[in-house]
Amino acid sequence: MLHVKQLDIVLGKTTILKDVNLTVNGEKVVLVGPNGSGKSTLFRAILGLVPISSGSISIFGKDVRYAKGLLGVSTNIDEVYRIANLNVKDIIEIYCELKEVGNNKSLNMIKEFELEDTLGKRIYKLSTGQAKMVCNILALNQKAEILLLDEPFDNVDQSRRRRFMDLLQNGNFEILMSTHEFELLKNLKDWKLCFMLEGKLWGKFEVSQLDRLYVTKGKVEGALKVMDTSLGYFSITLDKGDVQVRSATNLSSLLEAAAE
Amino acid sequence: MIFKYFLKSILSNRSLWGWGVIFMLFWLMLGVFVFSSSVPVTAALSYVSSYYGIISLFSFSTIAISISYTLYYGSSSLAYSFRYTKLTASTYFLSLLGASSIMAIVMSTIMLAATSGLSSWKFGANLFPYQPLAALAISAIAGAFMMVLAMGLVLIVINYAGLKNITFIGFVPLVLSYVFGFGQLYTKIPEALEYVSPFTAISSLLYASYGGFKIPKVFIDPSQGTLNPWLLLVSLIVWLLVLSAIDTQLLRRIRARAIEEARQV
Repeated sequence: MLHVKQLDIVLGKTTILKDVNLTVNGEKVVLVGPNGSGKSTLFRAILGLVPISSGSISIFGKDVRYAKGLLGVSTNIDEVYRIANLNVKDIIEIYCELKEVGNNKSLNMIKEFELEDTLGKRIYKLSTGQAKMVCNILALNQKAEILLLDEPFDNVDQSRRRRFMDLLQNGNFEILMSTHEFELLKNLKDWKLCFMLEGKLWGKFEVSQLDRLYVTKGKVEGALKVMDTSLGYFSITLDKGDVQVRSATNLSSLLEAAAE
Repeated sequence: MIFKYFLKSILSNRSLWGWGVIFMLFWLMLGVFVFSSSVPVTAALSYVSSYYGIISLFSFSTIAISISYTLYYGSSSLAYSFRYTKLTASTYFLSLLGASSIMAIVMSTIMLAATSGLSSWKFGANLFPYQPLAALAISAIAGAFMMVLAMGLVLIVINYAGLKNITFIGFVPLVLSYVFGFGQLYTKIPEALEYVSPFTAISSLLYASYGGFKIPKVFIDPSQGTLNPWLLLVSLIVWLLVLSAIDTQLLRRIRARAIEEARQV
């Protein structure tokens, strides 16, 4: 279980995350927001890679600032796999050992995804899509109870996307996943959905209700959520409103359409 | 055993082989074939011993640079791994320490073989090391010292200062090795500093183990008495222990840094 409470992240003089609250408990949650909305910073904060300015993050009841040896968490963020200058095979072996799991499953999955030629190469020498898939595979095979997947489908080809999506759908674990692509949501029927923009997070909604979600400019009484953005207030409502969420390709275009 | 991966990584580091071994062998050849023209055969063993000591010191200092960059690129990985894997700061520290010591032994073995072979050929005399095993044991401690020094310096920068100065900090052990190494050979370093400086302790102990000589207080004037090798060894080990204690504390508090922070332009 992941619990983010009133989280603020301020780097220098820039506020990256503002009063973020989120709980992931026995569910799969997708964060949708444009580039620069703070999704990756939220992941990095959960992983202990960014100092928390105020608020708290706990995983399995433990504050991440003081966490040690929590094996039930994994991620696909590549910067955490730079422990030594070694090839992909060695990195897989190291992290499987550090997570106390065998490496056969990961190495087999590398073959299933036709990535055998990456095994002898450093991660930084792979193409962006290959590196992303290797890190996805690393995240998936560490027997984690919660997976933190930052844009797992970026630069990944359609065939591999579909196969990896199936693995995520069928896996018995919690997921917090980010994406800037609305298109992906149609494959995530049983998932929860949060919107993220300008360092703020709104949710959770049901992805299965996506066809029924609308956005309307301004504050609407009885709205599920009211989003306070630099473009003004936007209300997320059920079954009626100005713009259907489903009709947009991303959050920015959705709000722009609602603002017109 | 994460140690074996660090050992593999450090042993396969081309920069380390290039600067720490090949470049030092070049220095050694200059010393044996070019700078030795005025050295009589009777003084050859002392000359060669001091050359082995200083070349090995420079060679070990390149380990420090590699360790610095390992930490620089791995800060996020370590911040994550200490939280979400079974890796502990102590395990990581000891693994890197072991790998650095073994690399130093490998380097020292090459330097011993090259020094004795080339100098014996050049001078036409038996100039083989007097106590090669002692030289290798000191090399292991020296490699460990370079690693803990580099780790301490880099962790201070990573945790408290940002990465802007990482390039400079990474070269501090190398610069100090050159300053103290040449300083000891060509100037009169105060006796207290000879005992306190781990760099002079390393080159002095290697000198003594290669040639079997007592260590002169002043190399350019050996008549001024000798240094106690056991005190030099104790000094080096104390440095190692103190820095190890500091490093493990700093490692537990490691901050993830974006490598782009190190950009200068």
